[in-house]
Amino acid sequence: MTMKPAWPDAPVDVAVIGGGVMGATAALFLARGGMRVALLDRQDLFRSASGVNAGTLTLHMTRAQLIPHAMRGREMWLTSREWLGTDVGALATPGLSLAFTEGEEALLRERARVRQQAGAPIEIVPPARAIAIEPGLNPSIRAAAYCALDGHIPAYRVGRAYARALAGAGVSLFEHCAVTAIHPSGNGYDISCAEQARPLAARRVVLAAGVWLEKMLGWFGHTIPIRCLINQLVVTETMPQVMGSVVSIANGLLSLKQFANGSVLIGGGWQGEGNIHDGGTRVIPENLRGNVRLAQHVIPRLSQAQILRVWLGLESETPDAMPLIGALTPRDDAFVIGCAHSGFTSGPYMGRLLAERILGGTPDLSAFDPHRFSPSSTPEPSP
Amino acid sequence: MSPPERGALVVVGGGVAGATAALTISRHGLPVTLVDEQPQAGGQIFRAPTPHARRQVPPNHEFSDGDRLRALLAASRVETRPATRVWGVSPRMELDVLGPDGIDQLPARALVVANGATERLLPFPGWTDPRVIGLAGASILLRNAGTLPGRRVVVAGAGPLLFSVAHQVMEPGGHVVAVIDAGRRGDWLRLGATLMRDPARLRMAAQWMTRLRLAGIPIHHQTHIAAVHAAPHGLSVAVAKTGRPGVAYQYDDVDAVACGHGLKPTTLLTRTLGARHRFDSAGGYWEPETDSSGRTSRAGLYATGDAAGIRGAAVARLRGLITGHAVALDQGAITARDFARLTRRPRMLLRRLDHVSRTMLPLLNASAPLFRAIPDDAIVCRCERVRAATLRETAATGARDLNQIKAWTRCGMGPCQGRMCEDGARGVLAASCDLPPEEAGSFTPRTPFFPLPLAALTGTFAYSDIPLPKAAPL
Repeated sequence: MTMKPAWPDAPVDVAVIGGGVMGATAALFLARGGMRVALLDRQDLFRSASGVNAGTLTLHMTRAQLIPHAMRGREMWLTSREWLGTDVGALATPGLSLAFTEGEEALLRERARVRQQAGAPIEIVPPARAIAIEPGLNPSIRAAAYCALDGHIPAYRVGRAYARALAGAGVSLFEHCAVTAIHPSGNGYDISCAEQARPLAARRVVLAAGVWLEKMLGWFGHTIPIRCLINQLVVTETMPQVMGSVVSIANGLLSLKQFANGSVLIGGGWQGEGNIHDGGTRVIPENLRGNVRLAQHVIPRLSQAQILRVWLGLESETPDAMPLIGALTPRDDAFVIGCAHSGFTSGPYMGRLLAERILGGTPDLSAFDPHRFSPSSTPEPSP
Repeated sequence: MSPPERGALVVVGGGVAGATAALTISRHGLPVTLVDEQPQAGGQIFRAPTPHARRQVPPNHEFSDGDRLRALLAASRVETRPATRVWGVSPRMELDVLGPDGIDQLPARALVVANGATERLLPFPGWTDPRVIGLAGASILLRNAGTLPGRRVVVAGAGPLLFSVAHQVMEPGGHVVAVIDAGRRGDWLRLGATLMRDPARLRMAAQWMTRLRLAGIPIHHQTHIAAVHAAPHGLSVAVAKTGRPGVAYQYDDVDAVACGHGLKPTTLLTRTLGARHRFDSAGGYWEPETDSSGRTSRAGLYATGDAAGIRGAAVARLRGLITGHAVALDQGAITARDFARLTRRPRMLLRRLDHVSRTMLPLLNASAPLFRAIPDDAIVCRCERVRAATLRETAATGARDLNQIKAWTRCGMGPCQGRMCEDGARGVLAASCDLPPEEAGSFTPRTPFFPLPLAALTGTFAYSDIPLPKAAPL
């Protein structure tokens, strides 16, 4: 039996709250940079958005402004053995986004143009070329956007790789440790958890709590409404190969891929119901039917599939749908990271950037500054 | 959440508990729908036999009681929906079903869950060979299809079903090679004393044991199957004494192995609906918390029969009867006085039988030493071929919860949704971390409850029928 680490007596250099891809990557690089790091999660490592998302490494769906980050993040996933110590099974494939109607074709061209400008190697191709790339496609497509840089990764496998890497880097991991309050202390912060009698002392704190960020940001005087998306995912039983690329549609509301074991994952951000406070999420039947109809329309052979499992994952979104990465206080000892669209793709890169920033580097994070929402935020935390 | 005003009274499961509950509700003048996955009602114990089985198997009370139950249903006003499976349920208790006419939704204002039990198997190397089947599965094959799983059969596992199946193999002329019992001889002697309170079951048990002894069939107590290997002339079965290394007995040229470690309540529906559950340490399983009439912690939701805890058919009938009356009471069809009068005698009988059934539970519950004895190379999750070693390594990496195990190893991610491997995985995890088994939790139930043909959900449609959401942000 592995012993759980003891709750630290001495102050840690940094406490990271939230063990998803953003927080865990930041923790990993902070520890490698020589800091004493504690990583806290309300649940188990990588059990929320980072462990249950569609694992798409696409540039078709990521926000145009985040294309450079998504390309760097994708590269990191594909070379995970080098920096994480384990190959997490990321696979590079081509990516296609499809248009079936005149309106969709116009949308497809517009979205492709903006992404090209942001540096994504996306080109519009005629139906015959798209079908040559992905023979399983419905031949009734009008046009397709093609990107050589796409791919996928079985998201559920990533947590285990991080658990090993974090332990190797000396990060103290505390799971089932829900943070209830953060108070400033003489030399940093006291972090209270429901499960621990005395608070954890930390010189710095990083908030990486995904959909649970809103309340914590409030402790630091930042009033930023965080919207919680409840994204539906459908996986089929293993089946003979029906596709080899990642396929989306013009409006971005489909992601479709087949994993090496033969199961097909159908996603795209169709919504379920639920909220983070009551816990529990549920499928909206019309959205389940709509999502799988769209998938079957795109890849007709999916009519032979058996649906194995449907689940819902939580995604956080700011009012401008751009990430939060940066310092929360003038003392430069409290930071936030999260709310990135397609955050799983760019997550490792963004986590590394924040670690770099905390370790004294100067990466350009100006577009993600949390103060854009609350310019008048108080300089000191007020729990 | 309060149950909806509209919707039907629905019973899920046409076994003895569900059928009795539906008949009782109907007798009080209430319309009721009985959803059953089998083509004919009867559940596992009173399953309708095939015509072949009626010719092969000597007449028995399971056939006659089952026929009577089916006749009562046919003559009643219960609306039965046979060959219909529940694949999901919304928080408002709308059941998603797949029947002969495709998918449908069935809103329930009261829902009686009587979906019985699931068989538990203790993994050992070779258990995934198709010639290794469950005890309950073997019983269905023998009793309801009149078919022997093979001529030479090893019967292994725990609990009364062990001896019942051995008897059923012998009845049509099969040969029981050996009975491998995880329990102690003393357990059975003690149980004999308890069974004095249930003479019908005692008589039956005595009859099975006598036949086995007269036939000179070896019965090994405190043993379990160490491994099954495929050999040229059939299966080779290695048997170990519990807590001791090495092979104590070996049986060759075996055609089939029937094995099982008792049953657990099927809790997919009650868990999906968020009813409170408790871990029954005696039985080693999760069950919905119910009051003495089958009401769960959720208004309008009932669990009855083995779905509320494993007690066997006689208790299931009484539970179904009482729950049926309770539904009538809660719907305002009868008064509290009527209810008390109608349930007084069934309750007295239930108390006696329930005590006997509870005494048997620990016999069926595999203990930590049995899980420790599972060799590293044994497959625990057969859908995803996850071995015990992988689960143990993952536990050492820090996973403590079954859902974390699932994410990190794929154990329980396959088509059976973890029904087959959950108990094995929980036992291996708990034993390797020295945790009480309940702390490992259980796999979160997911829709659909069984693999659902995608085409059943999509149906016939045009692209313009798809309600495409508005475009994601640029």
